[in-house]
Amino acid sequence: MTDAIAVSGLVKSFGAKRALDGFDLTVRTGEVHGFLGPNGAGKSTTIRVLLGLLRADAGDVRLLGGDPWRDAVALHRRLAYVPGEVNLWPNLSGGEAIDLLGRLRGGLNPARRDALIERFELDPRIKGRAYSKGNRQKVALVAALAADVELLLMDEPTSGLDPLMEAVFQQVVQEAAADGRTVLLSSHILAEVEALCRRVTIIRQGRAVQSGSLEELRSLTRTTVTAGLRDADDAERTLALLDGVHHVQRDDGHLTVDVDTASLNDVLARLTGFGVRSLTAHPPTLEDLFLREYSEELATLGVHEESR
Amino acid sequence: MSTTTTAVAPRSSELAGTRGLVRAALRLDRWRTAIWAVAVAGLTQVSVDALSRLYSTPESRAARAQLISSPAATALAGPGYGLDDYTVGAMTANELGLWIMIPVAIMALLTVTRHLRAAEEDGRLELVRSAPVGRDAPVVAGLVAAAVATVVVGGLTFLALLTTGLDPVGSLALAGGIVMVGLVFAGISAVASQLTAHARAASSLGMAALGVAFLLRAIGDVRGPESTSVLTWLSPFGWAQATRAYVDERFWPLAIGVVAAAVLVAVAFWLVGRRDLGTGLLAERLGRPRASARLSGMVALTLRRQSGAIASWGVGIVVMGVFVGLLANEIVDFVADQPQLAQMFPTGPNGAAASAFALYTVFLAVMAGAYAATAVGAARTEETATRGAMVLAGPVSRVRWLGSQVGVAAGAATVMMLVTGVLMGLTATASLGENAVGQLIGATAVTLPAVGIVLGVAVVVLGVAPRAFGLVWAYVTYVGVVGLFAPLRPDGADALSPFTYTPQLPAEAMDWPPVLVLAVIAVALATVGLAAFRRRDVVG
Repeated sequence: MTDAIAVSGLVKSFGAKRALDGFDLTVRTGEVHGFLGPNGAGKSTTIRVLLGLLRADAGDVRLLGGDPWRDAVALHRRLAYVPGEVNLWPNLSGGEAIDLLGRLRGGLNPARRDALIERFELDPRIKGRAYSKGNRQKVALVAALAADVELLLMDEPTSGLDPLMEAVFQQVVQEAAADGRTVLLSSHILAEVEALCRRVTIIRQGRAVQSGSLEELRSLTRTTVTAGLRDADDAERTLALLDGVHHVQRDDGHLTVDVDTASLNDVLARLTGFGVRSLTAHPPTLEDLFLREYSEELATLGVHEESR
Repeated sequence: MSTTTTAVAPRSSELAGTRGLVRAALRLDRWRTAIWAVAVAGLTQVSVDALSRLYSTPESRAARAQLISSPAATALAGPGYGLDDYTVGAMTANELGLWIMIPVAIMALLTVTRHLRAAEEDGRLELVRSAPVGRDAPVVAGLVAAAVATVVVGGLTFLALLTTGLDPVGSLALAGGIVMVGLVFAGISAVASQLTAHARAASSLGMAALGVAFLLRAIGDVRGPESTSVLTWLSPFGWAQATRAYVDERFWPLAIGVVAAAVLVAVAFWLVGRRDLGTGLLAERLGRPRASARLSGMVALTLRRQSGAIASWGVGIVVMGVFVGLLANEIVDFVADQPQLAQMFPTGPNGAAASAFALYTVFLAVMAGAYAATAVGAARTEETATRGAMVLAGPVSRVRWLGSQVGVAAGAATVMMLVTGVLMGLTATASLGENAVGQLIGATAVTLPAVGIVLGVAVVVLGVAPRAFGLVWAYVTYVGVVGLFAPLRPDGADALSPFTYTPQLPAEAMDWPPVLVLAVIAVALATVGLAAFRRRDVVG
C-alpha cells in the first residue's frame, strides 16, 4: 500500500521569507501522524500545500496518490480538513454550516452528524457570529468527521476546546483510526499527540528535524535515571567521567543523570557497585524530545535546560 | 473582632482611566477622521461651486425653486425655505444639506459602534476593562472620539462653505446642523451598541434609525413645507433643516438635537451598568438546527451571504429610479425653461426628458457597478476570513467557488437594473402621460455590459492582485465621476470608463457594435480573473 502523504524537498516562500525549506513528510496509510512545531514553523503552510490552496515552489508532493495542486477537486472528495482558526458565516447557524459543507461534498451521513453534535455538546441553532472560539472549532470538527473520507487533515484542531471536549476529540480520532482512516494531526498539545500518534514529525524553521515512531525517537535520546545510593559521592565522580552521561545532579544520597540510550546498560551495570537503594528510570517524554530540538530557541528565550 | 470596611466607591471610579482611553481612541481614529473631513468638506465645496456656476442667474434659480418644490423633489431635498428668493445659499441648505448630514451621521454611527461594540465583541474591551479602568470609561472614550470626529468634519465643512463665498451666519447654522445630526446619531448608536452583542447588528440598528429619520422628514416636508408638519419635528434632519440657514437663521432647533443626544447618551450609560460584558440586552435569535433543502451549493450559499447587500443596494437603486420617473415631468418643464442648462442635459433628438433619463441611468448603472464590486470584495473577505479555505478544501474547484460568487453578482446587478427600468418606466409614464416603459427598460438594459466591465475589473484585481483590492474602488470612483460630471471633465479623461462607449439611451439612438464589444470585454475580464485565481495561492 502506498503512503497517504509523501512530501520530499518541499519549498514554499512568501516573498523573502522561506516558510518551508526542503521539508520532508511521510504519512502511512491508516496511521495517526503527529505533526509538531511551534507557531510559525511551517505546519499550516504544509497543510495548505497538501490541500492545493498554496502552490509548492519546489519539491515533490503526493497526496492519496495524486498531485494536490492539479487533482485538488478529485482528492478533496476523499479528505476532510479542520482549520486551526475557524471562521463561520455570521448569519448561518452552526447546523446550517455543517450541512452546507456536507452538501458541497455530496452529502454527509446524518446519523453520524447528529451523533457527533451530541458528543461534542454543540448547539447547532446558534448563529456563526455568536459562537465562542471553541464552539466554532466544534462546528468544523463535526463537519469534517461526519464526512465519509479516507484522510483527515487537522491543523491544531483542538485549540479552544476544554479538557472534557479534548477527551471526546481523542476518542473520536481513535475511532476514525480504528475505521482505517488516516489522520495528519498538527498540534502543539504534546499530550494529545502522545496519546493519539504512533509516529510524529517535528518541524523547525521549515525543515523536518525528527521523524519516526515515538519509540525510535525516544531511543535517539536520553533516559533520566534517578538512584538512591549508598556511595553517592563515588558514584557522582565515576559517572561524570562516562561517555553518554549528562547533567549529573546530586541531592544528598540521590543521584540523577540523563543517559544516552547506547550507554544505558553500562550505567546501570556500574550503579550496582555503589549500593542501589532505590531506582527510577523514565524514558523521555515527547515534551523532552520536542524541546531538545528547540534547545537553541529556548536558549535565546533565556530558558536553560538545567532549570527545567 | 472583625472590622467591616464599607467601601463607598466614589462615582468617579466608574470613570477611572478615561483620559488614557480618550487619547488612545483619538489616536486610533486620526486618519479615518481626517479622510472623512477632507472628503465631506471637499465634496461640499465642489458641489456648492457647481450650483453657483450652473445657477448664476435669478431666473435659473427661480426655475430651480419651481422644480424642487414638487413633492418628489422635496422628499429628497428639504423643507424649502427661501424658495421665493432662491439664493445659492438657500439652495445649498435646502438641497445639499441633507446629503452632507447623511454621511456625517453614518460616520458618527460607525465610529461609536466600532469603539463601543466591535471592541467588546473582539474581546479587546475585556483586556482594557481588566486594567484599572472604570465601567463607563470606554463608553466615554468612544463617544468623545465620535464627537470630536463630528466636530472636526463639521468645522472643516464650515470653512469649505466660507471659501465658496456663502454667508458666515448661514454657514454656521448649516454646519451646526451637521454636527448636531452627527451627535444625535452617535447617541442612537451608543444605545444600539448596548442592545445587541454584535457590531454589525448595532450598525444595522443605527442605519435603520437613520432610514426612519429620513422618511419622517421626507413625509413631513412633503405634507407641510417650511417645517410645518409634526413628522418633520420628529427627525434630527428636520431639526437641522429648521435652522433656516442662509434665509432667516434661528439656532434654537439645534438645542433639541443637543438635548436628544444627551438623553440618548444618558440612556446608554444607564444600560451599560445593567448588562454583563460581552452581552447585549436583546437576546440573540437562534437559527435552524439543520439547513433547509434549498441551502445547497455555492450559489445558494452566496445568495444567503449576500442577501442583505443585494436587498439594500437593490432598494437604493430602485427607489432612486422611481424618484427619477416621478420627477420626469418637472424635469421636462425645467429644462425647457432653461436653455443655459443645456450643458447639464445635452438635449438629444428625443428631448429633454430623454437626456435626463440617460444621465440618471448612468448614475444608476454606476451604483449597480459599485454593488458588483462589493460582491467581489465579499468573495475576498470569504478568502481572508478562511471560510474560503474550508469550502475549497472540499470538492469545490476554484472556478466554481469564485465563478458562483461572480455569477450571483452579475445576476443580481442585472435584476436590479431591469426592475429599475420597469418601475422608472411606469412612474415616468404616469408623470409624462406617454408610454416610456419600453424605452427605459432599454436604457437600463444597454448599460449592463458596462456594469459587467466594472465587475470584470474587480474579478481581475481579485485574481491577479488580491491585496490591492482598493484599486477596484478607485476605478468605481473614477467611472462615477467621469460619468456624472460629463460636461466638466477634460477631454479624453473618460477613455477608460465603459459608459463613454455606451449609447445614452433614450437620448441617443441604439448602436449595437460598441455594446457588443463591451460585453465581450466584460466576459474576457471575468475569464482572465478566474484563470488568474486558479493559478494563485489562496491566502488567509
